[in-house]
Amino acid sequence: MKLEGTTTLPAPVETVWKTINDPEALRRCTPGLTELTATGPDAYAATLTIGIAAVKGTYKGTLTITDKRAPTHCKILLEGTGGAGFMKGEGVLDLEPEGTGTLVKWAGDMQVGGLIAGVGQRMLGGVGKMLVGQFFKCLEQQLGSGA
Amino acid sequence: MKPAAFEYHAPDTVEEAVALLDAHGDQAKVLAGGQSLVPLMNMRLARPAVIVDINRIQTLNYLAEDGGTLALGALCRQRAAERSALVARHCPLLGDALALVGHAQIRNRGTVVGSLAHADPAAELCAVLATLGGTVTAVGPQGTRSIPADELFVSYLTTSLDPRELLTEARFPALPRGTGWAWKEIARRHGDFALAGVGVGLALRGGRIAEARIGLTGVGATPVRAARAERSLVGAVPSDALWEAAAEAVRAEVEPDGDIHASAEYRRHIAGVLTRRALAEALTRAREAA
Repeated sequence: MKLEGTTTLPAPVETVWKTINDPEALRRCTPGLTELTATGPDAYAATLTIGIAAVKGTYKGTLTITDKRAPTHCKILLEGTGGAGFMKGEGVLDLEPEGTGTLVKWAGDMQVGGLIAGVGQRMLGGVGKMLVGQFFKCLEQQLGSGA
Repeated sequence: MKPAAFEYHAPDTVEEAVALLDAHGDQAKVLAGGQSLVPLMNMRLARPAVIVDINRIQTLNYLAEDGGTLALGALCRQRAAERSALVARHCPLLGDALALVGHAQIRNRGTVVGSLAHADPAAELCAVLATLGGTVTAVGPQGTRSIPADELFVSYLTTSLDPRELLTEARFPALPRGTGWAWKEIARRHGDFALAGVGVGLALRGGRIAEARIGLTGVGATPVRAARAERSLVGAVPSDALWEAAAEAVRAEVEPDGDIHASAEYRRHIAGVLTRRALAEALTRAREAA
């Protein structure tokens, strides 16, 4: 399942770069992220509780940031397994200055398997997009208030 | 398949049910017909800690006409509404859509209000409520409030209801005399969720369209009212070209998701096709009624 989009954040590229590399900001803004522990440089153990309404699953896995070209490009890898299935995803972020802010181009590829994929197939794409939207909305609020 | 352990309550009154929801908040789920909730629990995709079974609250089992509106209590089964003479007379759009909800066995248990509370993005009944501009009644610890359809549906399986509120009633405005209607949908198999569906209401005055309602399901996170397509019809003289223009407006207004069942492009395409067919059928009915 491929998802992509763009979003504009109200801060210069350097500030946005710092925020998306800040574990505290990631913890606060990744929807459903309950635990994030550094296990090495740019590598984290993560626990996510995600879903919609009563359909929620807890996934334990890893979050890794690679392919870094500061301050404009990085790749985020996410892997997790839980009772309802597994998920594996990668997202590429490219930052470009736009006026006084930053244009973020993002593209992701997500694989979801197991029970949740069989039953939730109809809604996975839309929910994925919604969660990415929540992530950027949170970053936007954080950057907006810090400026 | 068996659900994870949960605490079970079967209150006898709305007040007791709301007190339970107030005490347990988002740990609790309301059980009415259970046709969506129970499978999710059995597959352990949903693990509510507390179930509040409202099936003993007999005051919620009604279907009545109330000043130009059909009022359905939270225990009114889909099958009861589908076979009701009141629904056929005042709200045939609801009756037609109900016939396509799951299978008869599902409708025997499933409730109309439960389907609205579940807010599946491909559900027929949510789109019917949106098309007709209906409301629901919610009772919570703070009292009773009425929520219009366009404020109820927020996203996939998500409504603006507070977890401590109980949806007690759905109110579907009756179609005024002389209004034509149609429900059209396409599903891969009978009883499956629709790839896309559309409900239409059409009223004529002096050979021109006086009022048009178009509501869609399966083409977004919530039911969609095609406001621009509706506006393009009002005041116009019905014709095939007009239907085609409305179909194009609908295609421009919806943003469906693609999945293994159908691509986004296909869903957008059939949303238009179904709109055109539904408008033509609604026109025939409006003329018959006039």
